[in-house]
Amino acid sequence: MRKYLFVFVLTLKEYFTYRLNFLIWRIRVLISFLVPFFLWLTVTKQIKNFTGYEEKSIISYFFFSHLLSYFILGTRTVDITSQIQNGEIINLILKPMSFFNYYFFRDLADKILNFALSFLEIIIFFSVFSFTLPQLNFNFFLPFLSFLLIGLFLSFYLNLLISFLSFWSTEVWAPRFIFFILISILSGSFFPLDLLPKKLFSIILLTPFPYLFFLPVKMISSPETLINKIDFNFLFFMSIFYLTTLFFLSKILWQKGLKNFSFWGR
Amino acid sequence: MINVKNLTKIYKIYRKTGNLINDIFFRKYEDVLALDKVSFTIDDNELVGFIGPNGAGKTTTLKILSGILYPTSGKVSVLGFSPFEKREAFLKQISFVMGQRNQLIWDLPAIDTFLLNKAIYEINDLKFKKNLQKLTTILSAEKLIQKPVKMLSLGERMKMEFIAALLHQPKIVFLDEPTIGLDIFSQEAIRNFIKSYQKEFQATIILTSHYLEDVKRLAKRLIIINKGKILYDGSLVSIFQKFSQVKYVSLILEKEIKKEALLKIGQLINYQFPKAVFRIQKKFLPKVIGYINNKIDYLDLVIEDEKIEEVIKNLLSDHK
Amino acid sequence: MLKKIKRNLKIFLLFSYQSLKNTTQSRQALFLFTLAKILRFVLLFGLIFLIFSKTNNILGWSLKQVIILYLTFNFIDTFSQVLYREVYRFRPLVISGNLDLILIKPYHPFLRVLIGGVDFLDFLLLIPYFFLLLFFILKENILFLSFFWYLILVVNGLIITTAFHIFVLSFGLLTTEVDNAIMIYRDILNLGRFPVEIYQQTISFVLTFIIPIGVMITFPVKSLFNFLSFKNILFAFFIAFFLLSLSIYFWQIGLKKYQSAGG
Repeated sequence: MRKYLFVFVLTLKEYFTYRLNFLIWRIRVLISFLVPFFLWLTVTKQIKNFTGYEEKSIISYFFFSHLLSYFILGTRTVDITSQIQNGEIINLILKPMSFFNYYFFRDLADKILNFALSFLEIIIFFSVFSFTLPQLNFNFFLPFLSFLLIGLFLSFYLNLLISFLSFWSTEVWAPRFIFFILISILSGSFFPLDLLPKKLFSIILLTPFPYLFFLPVKMISSPETLINKIDFNFLFFMSIFYLTTLFFLSKILWQKGLKNFSFWGR
Repeated sequence: MINVKNLTKIYKIYRKTGNLINDIFFRKYEDVLALDKVSFTIDDNELVGFIGPNGAGKTTTLKILSGILYPTSGKVSVLGFSPFEKREAFLKQISFVMGQRNQLIWDLPAIDTFLLNKAIYEINDLKFKKNLQKLTTILSAEKLIQKPVKMLSLGERMKMEFIAALLHQPKIVFLDEPTIGLDIFSQEAIRNFIKSYQKEFQATIILTSHYLEDVKRLAKRLIIINKGKILYDGSLVSIFQKFSQVKYVSLILEKEIKKEALLKIGQLINYQFPKAVFRIQKKFLPKVIGYINNKIDYLDLVIEDEKIEEVIKNLLSDHK
Repeated sequence: MLKKIKRNLKIFLLFSYQSLKNTTQSRQALFLFTLAKILRFVLLFGLIFLIFSKTNNILGWSLKQVIILYLTFNFIDTFSQVLYREVYRFRPLVISGNLDLILIKPYHPFLRVLIGGVDFLDFLLLIPYFFLLLFFILKENILFLSFFWYLILVVNGLIITTAFHIFVLSFGLLTTEVDNAIMIYRDILNLGRFPVEIYQQTISFVLTFIIPIGVMITFPVKSLFNFLSFKNILFAFFIAFFLLSLSIYFWQIGLKKYQSAGG
């Protein structure tokens, strides 16, 4: 277990070696927050009730969405692609530790760092621009925690799956880009998913994207608006379904990938 | 043609201390003196070899002479131009080949890069054809120019790099470690090529290398540089006169002599009858030769300089 | 003089031709890539319609105006990516040391590191974007004079984006620490997707007068509907000229401080 904690700390250290890069990364995170936040704030100021959202609840949604999206989505699995392509991955496979665990702890470091920094930044942002901090809704705390954990692992296995495609192709940047686009639109970071007309929303609930961070965000900010519309059991079932599917798919691809993998020397 | 006076170049390097806090907030920048008031002149049609250990300042010198780097102080004049200004008229007359770096377009055949350079250097059709043919003939590379560059071996790629660099018949050619990483045959081919090129096109060639073989074969003039200072600037031959204190004397003996008797002659390096090799200080050479002539029966006597590698190694370690 | 222009054009065309050859090498991936971009475009477009299904104006902007703004943003964004794609590949060029071999060539390095990698796939997308924009503009009753000023200001916006790209290049000469300098420019540009007025006052001010995204995108659209004062038009020209000159100056400084890679 100790070795994984070391991996965790080492990953954090890596971030601080390039301080300018680090700073720019944080600025980028903040800037990308501004567009959806101010867009929907302006809209809800004008339209007092937009499919159940008003100014206060929109602010609350984006506050939690900013915190949790980076926590859930943060990953270092992008490194896997280059490690496969330059053969570095062999070193990892030969070490006496589980590859999946290794990357889980690397990701955990990334997620926690993202969360801590996002938290700091958004508090500063809210106080500088005089927005009132939203209240946590603890009525559905247990569902919140469960969906959070499910989303965490869902994201982890999904990211691994995409990276494992590098075992078969060098053009893996294309699927990753598509994945990135789909997430930016369908996961709830650009707009609250339940803002959409009911039909569209139902379709999106059939994809894995809302189960990443949208559900935990709703559970901690305004669960009532969601519960009235959708059956809770259905949400739970879908998220578990996707989690198990992706878990097994990633394990299978990993085994197959190792077998197919031929390290062409440099 | 090339005139360098008191050229100095200082790099600013950031030193990592390993201490996380210091590395984020209190970074230290160090000044590294890469060239220290270096001066030399190079005329037309010379082939000069720059030698020195890693970090000596060889590549820095070449990069300043070609205009890539900006000198910290001193005067640099190449073909009457100030290189850093990168005037078009200047750039059209120079060329730079760096070992293991490419200007060739990776995914396409070399000929495409050649045609690109033809447009860039404004080489007319006739001259282009003539030079391309000459160069590919000397390098025996006629078939290679149509193959995508990524499919060539390192040796073949370097040949293409040379062609791309020389199509416009530059007056000055900078070669930075041109044979590094190549196998023996490719090294030989490149060396022969450079020699033929200079003979044919009468260019000034400045070459840096770790491989003394490159310099021995090609350069008549040697500049030895270490830690930013020039230690020697002169002909390859006279380096022995200046810096070598030692000669090697080889004797082929007529009859077997006891080792102790041989030791009277001087420092015995190797004795396996009939050959004995001595290392003799130059100042004692006349005496030693006299002694040998009087006291020893020999069939053959050969006097040689020490290896140039030895001379340079000693020179460099003296200046550590 | 004319000869020089001809030569530079020839070199540019040669670089673009090579870029095209390179593009056609991984077709499957690029097809998916383009599909994803179209998807994003359509979805965000749909979002605008969703918003305006519940109201007919946001801070004084009507649906038609917001659409034209979004399409103008799209055009400028795509155009600069098409032309300046090579800037995204600058850092590997510096790190490998191959930049040196470009610096000693007798043409301006911008021909290679700024516009030497024309992105043909995005260029294909640019055409329908352009016609879509034209379609929505022509649907309105626009005075020819307003359209004229709109075009001038769009070109002005393109000059500003050129300046930003040159800043990124200069930055790359000074430090290799940052691997995503161009991306931060893209993120800031994204703020211009919607009218600059939606942001809180300070941010809106910064986006208009300091990092002039507002000047690049909101201003041309405003002038199309006669909402732009002459004072602001003058300011737009001034800031474009100022930023371009400043960026070129930074590039010169970058060259002097450039320490090259390795030995």
